[in-house]
Amino acid sequence: MTKKNISNRTFVITAAIGSALITVILILNTLWASRQTIKATDEAVSAVSSFYLNAMANRRARTITNLINNNFDQMEKAVDVIRDEEIETQEELRSSIGMIKSLLSLSRFALVDEDNVVYTQYTTYTGGSRHEFLAEGELNGRTISTVYLYGSSKQLCLAIPADFKAMGKSIKACFVQIDIRDIVNLLAFDDDQESTNFGLYSKNGGNLSGTELGPAVSDKNIFDITKGSVPEKDWLRFVDDFARERAGSLNFTVGDTKETLCYEPVQNTGWELVVLIRDSVIRDQIHSISEQNLSITKYQLTFTLIVTAVFASILLLEARIIARKKLEAEQENSRNLRSMATTDSLTGVGNKHAFSEAELELNPKIMAHEIDKLAIVVCDINGLKHVNDTLGHAAGDQLIRDASDLISRFFVHGSVYRIGGDEFTVLLQGEGYDTMQTVIDRFNRTAEENIRKDAVVVSIGYAVLDPSDEQLHDLLKRADQMMYERKRALKQMGAKTRD
Amino acid sequence: MIRKRILPLLAVSVMTIAAAALLSACGSLGKGQGKPADVTEQKATDTDSAALQAVHFVHRLDDYRPKKDHYNFYFTYKTVHPWWDAVALGMEDAQRQYLENGITVTYEYMAPPAASAEDQTARLLQAKEAGYDVIGVDVADEAIISPLLDELSDSGCKVMTFSSSDASEGCKRIAYVGNTHNYEDGALLTEALCKKLDYKGKIAILVGSKGAPCHEDRAKGAMDTIATYPDMEIVAVEYDMDSVDIAYDLTAKILADHPDLDGLVCCNMSNPVGAAKAVTEKGSNAVIVGMDHDREALHYLKDGVIYCLGVQDCYSIGFNTLQVAVMIADGNLPGELYPEKTDETTTIIYQKDASTMLEMLYGDIS
Repeated sequence: MTKKNISNRTFVITAAIGSALITVILILNTLWASRQTIKATDEAVSAVSSFYLNAMANRRARTITNLINNNFDQMEKAVDVIRDEEIETQEELRSSIGMIKSLLSLSRFALVDEDNVVYTQYTTYTGGSRHEFLAEGELNGRTISTVYLYGSSKQLCLAIPADFKAMGKSIKACFVQIDIRDIVNLLAFDDDQESTNFGLYSKNGGNLSGTELGPAVSDKNIFDITKGSVPEKDWLRFVDDFARERAGSLNFTVGDTKETLCYEPVQNTGWELVVLIRDSVIRDQIHSISEQNLSITKYQLTFTLIVTAVFASILLLEARIIARKKLEAEQENSRNLRSMATTDSLTGVGNKHAFSEAELELNPKIMAHEIDKLAIVVCDINGLKHVNDTLGHAAGDQLIRDASDLISRFFVHGSVYRIGGDEFTVLLQGEGYDTMQTVIDRFNRTAEENIRKDAVVVSIGYAVLDPSDEQLHDLLKRADQMMYERKRALKQMGAKTRD
Repeated sequence: MIRKRILPLLAVSVMTIAAAALLSACGSLGKGQGKPADVTEQKATDTDSAALQAVHFVHRLDDYRPKKDHYNFYFTYKTVHPWWDAVALGMEDAQRQYLENGITVTYEYMAPPAASAEDQTARLLQAKEAGYDVIGVDVADEAIISPLLDELSDSGCKVMTFSSSDASEGCKRIAYVGNTHNYEDGALLTEALCKKLDYKGKIAILVGSKGAPCHEDRAKGAMDTIATYPDMEIVAVEYDMDSVDIAYDLTAKILADHPDLDGLVCCNMSNPVGAAKAVTEKGSNAVIVGMDHDREALHYLKDGVIYCLGVQDCYSIGFNTLQVAVMIADGNLPGELYPEKTDETTTIIYQKDASTMLEMLYGDIS
């Protein structure tokens, strides 16, 4: 298997495609999750609204029952009060009724005598045909009926039997009438009126409360409105529930709007309290929340993308910097390796390999006579063997370093190479060539002085490029010759030699 | 959205109609002598809104400022019956409005279980001694009661008549508020029947209480109308004494005697209920026209058993009766403030109006 080198470009493209894929997957996943949530929410709405409506209908029905019971209790107290007053005249009776109305906050409070004559605070009238409970003859216990006031409001009539005398007549009953609109106002205590509607209905589906049960049902007969909007079986059950004073619920659709209503019988009244909520209201609210969440998710996603992009950019930049530094380090290393290959480790000057490279480079030019200023200096350390033998190799190495320093210090404009244990060469071109003679003279004087100082002594010989020279070696041979001569001369001056 | 736009328009339309009707009603109170119902105009009400125009529930007291802060009246009418219960509701509306203005109006509104001139006489004689500000009477029998009203007036009582029956011509009662066109109502209903029968056939007439002016006048209007069509024949005239059961029995008997009966004219509230019941049971095709807004009668109308009903505006009668009573109590005589006879409307309604009327009057109960 062939291993391919991964370039920066490949890395960047891979990173970009990967990031884009992750981003797309993230977005699609978010959208899918949102839609799934909305779908699941829709399915839950019906169940939630039914539960919600059941609780609401039940609470309101109980409120009405409590109201009725409270009124019955108050009426019984009122009868007790009037009984004890021993009323003799109609004026006294009207005054007492007025006082009772005021004290007990009763709306229409009235007494009925044995002839079905009704006594209220302001009027006395024959009421046999007007009040349903009087048509039934004898009154047994608490009686609840609905009064349809000719053309206007509808009222709840609560009657109880009484048994006392007033104005010489036998009072057989008392009753109150409560405007159903007042009951509706009492029930309108929830702060959710905008989304829910309720109404009181008679057994035949007629609206008693005058409240609109949403735009679809309005204040019309609820049976008429729902007929045809639900399966016949459901509708008949709905009607039967009203007739039998049972609780239940009904879902129906008007146009594109799905409505949910729950109904609860109001005890002993023959009424059904119906609460309706449009599924769309809950759905819209939840949709609104979902939209808000989706919007927040989008913002979060955008923010994440921006942060990701910024971090990716930073990472790429850092990767480039690291790569560049790595490249530079490799180049440095390479340079070092190359330097190590051409540098003498002991002295730091060029080694024999470096000299050979220089020789290879110069020889063609010499052959082609392309160089006119070239000289070579051959240097040899005097007494190295003696030092090695007497003082050890460490001292010998130091002597070599001293010699190298000396050579390098004098031949500043030349290339210095160590080509043997105690041998150095210096190639001189350009300014090094031009100043060669002066430098050599000074060097030789120094060498001679060093004999006396017992410092490093280096014998040198040199040769200048001759037109007949074909290669550097030709110069080297002449320089070697001169160096040996110089070595002998220095020996005579006292310099140590190999011998 | 459309519904939201239409509903306010509908509401405005209904309110406009109601307001116009109210203005019309108020206008009639101050125009002096009342006029009989305009037959042509009433025929024009043969529209979908006829039921809405038949009864006016929205009333406000006029600008008259009562001189006292408390009035006490006595009213008596023919018999305990839902028709007068509707009148009572109009009275109570006026009483509440006076109370809101700081004026207390108390009254008695009494009737016997069955129409009786004797009972009414006894009640009036008792009221005469009680010192009421005004005594109002729905005359049970004009021949018997009218002289008594004169006697009450002579003794210093302020007497008025109201609702369905006025006293006889020349009676000293101060004013009358109610139906002033019973004859025309009878004629109008009969005309509708005749037209339905293509002006031929056998007709029976059911009347209410003997001597009750409103019933007698309607019966006379019916007879006179039928007499104008040579191919029509009156086969029976019977009195049910304001009893549904008697009306049923009488109709059953008439149908037995005249199985080919083509039509029935009913002159009071109980007549059409008993007649419709008998016609239904006997399987007769007789066409029924009748008076008033009895709930059963409206259902028969809705079901097509009764052809049409003449509906009187009882609520307005009650409201206006109390207003006129206050003015009379203050010593005002008919003239600028109120007419001697305050006319109230009668509207003929048909099958298509029945549901609306049932909803308006009885809350759509079945």
